[in-house]
Amino acid sequence: MGMNDAVKADWRVGVDIGGTFTDVVLWREGADNLVQIKLLTTPADPSRAVLDGIGQALDQVGIAAQELTSVVHGTTLVANALIERKGVATGLITTRGFRDVLEIGREWRYDLFNLDIVMPTPLVPRRRRLEIDERIDAAGLVETPLNLDQMPGLVEDFRAMGVRSVAVCLLHAYLNPGHEQALGAMLAKTMPDVAVSLSSDVSAEMGEYERTSTAVANAYVHPIFRDYLERLVAALRELGYQHELLLVLSDGRSIAADVAVKYPIRLVQSGPAAGAEAARLFGELARQRDILCFDMGGTTAKACLIHDGEPERTVNFEVARETRFAEGSGLPLLIPAIDMIEIGAGGGSIARVDQRGLLQVGPDSAGADPGPACYGRGNQFPTVTDCDLLLGYLDENSFLGGKMKLDRDAAALAVRVHLADPLGIKPIEAAWGVHETVTANMAQAATIHAIERGLDATRFAMLPIGGAGPVHACSMAQKMSITRLICPAGAGVASAIGMLAAAKSFEIGRAAPSELSLLDFTKAVELLNDMTTEAASLVASAGAEDDQVTRRFSAMMRYLGQGYEIEVPVTLEMLEHHDRDGLLASFSECYRDRYGRSEDMPAELLSWRLAVTGQRSTLGDSLGQRAAAGEAAPVSRTGRPVWFGESFVETPVFKRSDFGTGSTIHGPAIIEENESTLVLPAGFELSVDGALNLILDATS
Amino acid sequence: MSEIELNAVRLGLIWRRLDGIVDQVAETFLRAAFSVVVRDNYDMAFSLFDAQGRQLTQSKRSIPSFLGTLPRTLAAVLERFPRSQLAPGDVIISNNAWIGTGHLNDISMVHPIFRGDRLVAFAASTAHTVDIGGAPSPSARDCFEEGLCIPICKIVVAGEDNATVMDFLTENLRQPGETLGDIRAQFAAYRDCNAKLMALMDEESLHDLSPVADEIIARSEQSMRSAIAALPDGEYGDGFDVDGVDYPLRIECMVSIDGDQLTVDFAGTSGQVPWPINSVLNYTQAYARYAVKCLVDPDAPNNAGSLAPVHITAPEGCLLNAVPPAPVWGRHLSGHYVPPAIFGALAPIMQNNIVAESGSPLWNVYFSGRHDDDRGNFVKMFFMNGGHGARANGDGPGCLSFPSNVSNQPIEAFEHQVPMLVREKCFIADSGGAGRFRGGNAQRLVFEARANNPITMTIRHERIHYPPRGLLGGKPGRAGIDQVNGQTIAAKSRTELNKGDRVVFETPGGGGLFAPSERDGASIRQDLENGLTTPAASRKSYGHE
Repeated sequence: MGMNDAVKADWRVGVDIGGTFTDVVLWREGADNLVQIKLLTTPADPSRAVLDGIGQALDQVGIAAQELTSVVHGTTLVANALIERKGVATGLITTRGFRDVLEIGREWRYDLFNLDIVMPTPLVPRRRRLEIDERIDAAGLVETPLNLDQMPGLVEDFRAMGVRSVAVCLLHAYLNPGHEQALGAMLAKTMPDVAVSLSSDVSAEMGEYERTSTAVANAYVHPIFRDYLERLVAALRELGYQHELLLVLSDGRSIAADVAVKYPIRLVQSGPAAGAEAARLFGELARQRDILCFDMGGTTAKACLIHDGEPERTVNFEVARETRFAEGSGLPLLIPAIDMIEIGAGGGSIARVDQRGLLQVGPDSAGADPGPACYGRGNQFPTVTDCDLLLGYLDENSFLGGKMKLDRDAAALAVRVHLADPLGIKPIEAAWGVHETVTANMAQAATIHAIERGLDATRFAMLPIGGAGPVHACSMAQKMSITRLICPAGAGVASAIGMLAAAKSFEIGRAAPSELSLLDFTKAVELLNDMTTEAASLVASAGAEDDQVTRRFSAMMRYLGQGYEIEVPVTLEMLEHHDRDGLLASFSECYRDRYGRSEDMPAELLSWRLAVTGQRSTLGDSLGQRAAAGEAAPVSRTGRPVWFGESFVETPVFKRSDFGTGSTIHGPAIIEENESTLVLPAGFELSVDGALNLILDATS
Repeated sequence: MSEIELNAVRLGLIWRRLDGIVDQVAETFLRAAFSVVVRDNYDMAFSLFDAQGRQLTQSKRSIPSFLGTLPRTLAAVLERFPRSQLAPGDVIISNNAWIGTGHLNDISMVHPIFRGDRLVAFAASTAHTVDIGGAPSPSARDCFEEGLCIPICKIVVAGEDNATVMDFLTENLRQPGETLGDIRAQFAAYRDCNAKLMALMDEESLHDLSPVADEIIARSEQSMRSAIAALPDGEYGDGFDVDGVDYPLRIECMVSIDGDQLTVDFAGTSGQVPWPINSVLNYTQAYARYAVKCLVDPDAPNNAGSLAPVHITAPEGCLLNAVPPAPVWGRHLSGHYVPPAIFGALAPIMQNNIVAESGSPLWNVYFSGRHDDDRGNFVKMFFMNGGHGARANGDGPGCLSFPSNVSNQPIEAFEHQVPMLVREKCFIADSGGAGRFRGGNAQRLVFEARANNPITMTIRHERIHYPPRGLLGGKPGRAGIDQVNGQTIAAKSRTELNKGDRVVFETPGGGGLFAPSERDGASIRQDLENGLTTPAASRKSYGHE
């Protein structure tokens, strides 16, 4: 970009709409500083805060919207529509005999002991799930031809039921999309006002329940998302922005709005994925390739692993869970996503004494509204944030840069009445117990997440982001035996920064199940060529020049009959040469890397994947050069008593701006920034690197 | 320990860490395991016990039956090897059905954990193995046909593999690599458990787990005792007929509540039979305790304390306490009736929590044969759940597993492995029993053989003659159906299928709860709109459409 116009500056904007705040970051390509704007989200029309924020950012540097060369955007709109069940009336067409697959699900209870278990209500009720005669077999061959004569009846039924969006999911369509495409064409002709989502298009993966669920979720939010994007694009035009709008997907890649509009479900985790991209960038700046990104806000805490410089990815995602943290209680989605786990309910998590007479923290949360007791908005139950205030980690006068005064007495009362008195201990001991319990919970969940992926979390550096992340990071790291932490500047607007860091990129997958010994290489090469053509057109429309585009092929493979597949890098050349042994060797190597051994067992292939990526952002190079010399041993301006488990210790309080490259201090200390507070216990040494990251190393 | 006070905060943190350790260790096992049933179906359990052999905690992924059978397994191990004969690094193994999970296909192991020379805990685990030698079949007449029985013995002696035991296993199994791989994966998990437990005890300055264990058990026991004490004292009975093989069998159950103690007795249940559908007492007790916990105190932790006030007995030699050499391969065909028997007995006094009968015992089918092409042989097990019983707070979900909690498999994956076409997998209208809350709908599955080579089909199904009952005025669910080419076949049978043959399975529907006349109009209309009930049936059950 900007290739033909080298004299003109490239101004880029990243915008993240979260549940509470909308963050805008403006950056001039090559500059080592960022303009950061945080404003309240406007739920009725989210584009209002977006335009406001961009306007404010432009005003700060005194440029016009015409000078912007790219706007990258992430939003919670899709996730919220699914969680709140606010999509449109959706219909579903399936192979005859299979309309109930969507509701039968996997027949498995996510909670063993709860007889009143609630299973997710399907997004399409049974009456709007219609069937058609057709059948494709497991080889992808037509067993029963598609009977299009039945379509007028189906269309009439959908019309009568007021259907505005239709999903189509036919058996084995991931192998042969012909019948779905014919239905799609017919629907476009006969119901032009209705949005159509084909499963083979949205997610060409094997597994009829999960694929149907994905296609249905896409259809359910499609019209809403399309309308939103149209409004936003028009408003940006009006503002004077002349280029295309880019959107961040759940896998942290970004793609042009005209492509994204067809696959709204791919945006379900858009903001958090951009946060992981930011963590990768910050990690690169600190020369760390193995990062545990720990993002803790008011209502949720998430963890994500970046292994060898790449975020861990998955194609199995779940949204709108009936029971928080209960895997299997939500709607499954087969979409490429950064693999994140929710490890806690955030600073708003409510603490109580349970039926065993012990402290319990979460899973319910006071959220942002009414929020913790110390917000003084009517919640009387003690939360993690209330305890952080009593322990001296937070200060009632400097919260959110002093914009919000906290009520210490309300926090103390809540802790005494609901925790300390029933347990017969001092309030400060109860507050410490809550802090220890919540960090222990999160440490355990994050450790297990790593083990499940065959990774050893103790070798990772922790990178805390979000308002409450740095408050709890050191305590959590100690419990995970993690010895290094990286605290980047701008952690409070990490997702918006991540949007500027993400390369334009798109990933597509095609299921092609086959035992390796029976793999038809000629067909595989054909399929990969088709995928290349398709992906190239998608990325080209995102403005990536062909000579900057890189392609990465991979195969999802496993030992025959196993349930977990791993991603194995492959080259087109390997397939052209029918290199069966090479493919097996590649798989064995990846497997060994992950599980420490390989087996003497036949392997099988589940699907092919292709990621096409445009030029990388140079944001990292620029931010890496922002070293600013600071005092070797800065002196604190104030201090306050802080509790670290034994007694109150008079602890120095610093501003983050007190530190420059080369500064060093030892804990205990508190370091305050506008959006967050870093708690540095004894046993940690803090130093500052060339990119102004605070590096914390355990010394004991 | 004594010098540091064990207050509620500290106890809570240690307890949480113990829970976390078994979850992490179970993941170590799952990730290193070889067999599909363990890796993907989580057909396993991992549990931690104190030095006295009291169960403290278990991994979340554990299946309910194994959790309930492990305490008895450990007790039997300690009878054979008193503590004085145990050394650091020992692992003791057995798959004896009577001290284990009720059939030979589950191998259990126990590992004593020492701190210095003091025994402080036991790690124990159970994992399913598809092959255990022998020739288990629906026609087995005694347990000796059903495979290799491993007596209680040390498979690892003070850290050294016992080659004799390993050789015995290798010689007797069809796929020794897979089974021994799973066994070694558990060794790795034990080492991990040892290290993590020592780290916890170091950090918390604990020389012994006893004070922590005493608190954990006392608090859990208190929770269960309070929950039982809240129920009215008395004796509550239930009894019903079940399909059996040649003739119907009877399940009888009496639940006695006396203060804070609950006793379940199965006196009056039919005697054991010469078919592989007998349950051993340990398996019966596991499902009985699971049912009591679900019903009485579902939110409390599961450990020796929560089980202490619950007593389960059954007369020796009956279907639910079979004695050797009874064949037991399909012990779930009687054992899965234990929860509905207890629910039925307690229904009158637990109207706000109760669940009507579900379409279980779990239905499954084995298909085996040879592919027409060069892919060789196939053996595939396919699971199908029935409708869930109606609950006190709403309708039963359609096709949700209870009590076994086994999931289904995607049709698209199945068709890649077996040369058959699935023609239908859908709800059966009117299959859920009527009631204020209706039972969950059952499912219909239609399979069509496509291969030139014949396919052998083995089924073990129940609820063909006696459908799931409704409770407290609710109506029964629909009975199950097994057909080949329109002809009913025996529910426990082996059939050879040829190209074009069509198999229909209709699982049983869930029972309803409370009188149908109490059902609200909106729910009746919604079921009609969605075609889950037909107008004719709706009129019959509810008096209107």
